[in-house]
Amino acid sequence: MAARVLQQCVRSLARPSLRLCSGNPAVRAAAAPAVAIHRPLSFAADSRRTRWLGQSRVSVVGVLCRQYGDLPPLTLETIKDRVMYVLKLYDKINPEKLQTSSHFMKDLGLDSLDQVEIIMAMEDEFGFEIPDAEAEKLMTPEEIVQYIADKKDVYE
Amino acid sequence: MAISRIPPAALSLKQFLQRQRVLGIYRNMLRTIRQVPDEADRKYLADWARAEFKRNKDATNQDAIRMMITQANNHLEELQKSLALARS
Repeated sequence: MAARVLQQCVRSLARPSLRLCSGNPAVRAAAAPAVAIHRPLSFAADSRRTRWLGQSRVSVVGVLCRQYGDLPPLTLETIKDRVMYVLKLYDKINPEKLQTSSHFMKDLGLDSLDQVEIIMAMEDEFGFEIPDAEAEKLMTPEEIVQYIADKKDVYE
Repeated sequence: MAISRIPPAALSLKQFLQRQRVLGIYRNMLRTIRQVPDEADRKYLADWARAEFKRNKDATNQDAIRMMITQANNHLEELQKSLALARS
């Protein structure tokens, strides 16, 4: 009974995302048999897994579909670009001398108050709070990128 | 007598703790200023806080630093109270 309810959930989730897709008939044909195949498989133990499989099958096929209520995924490259962009906007940093390995205090001549401001700017940019104890250890852009990648589970 | 390996510019424990406290106050102030609704006010307050902290950056007298920390805390509490009133 529960399995049938879950199948209906998968089907109802699959249908709106297919409608929003660019309407490629091959896409629809590929997704529909995928859902149909999973129907006989879903019993109590497997139901949750096939629901996940059904959703992931649809999302892989419909890459052009919109992502609901979530930001685009972070990669190390995008994190690095955003960090460097924020640093270049900071008025006390000379953009030509800035590299990922430049130490704030030793290479760029900033002091601890400036470092606090930089970390606050990073918090604003990425939307999550960095606690004091960990913030004072971040002294180069490379370390900041590593820390954000750790916190946001970005691997490569 | 063993030669001390601590570099001469290192801070004592009390100075180190005080430094951490000052940085913590600066951080809390910036976070509170972030909540101010008006953009121009926010910039003015942030610049004021920055100037105040930088002006007293080189103070070495422990008591003077302690007084300044108390003053900063008072300012911070005032700001937080005003924000709470403005929001209600």
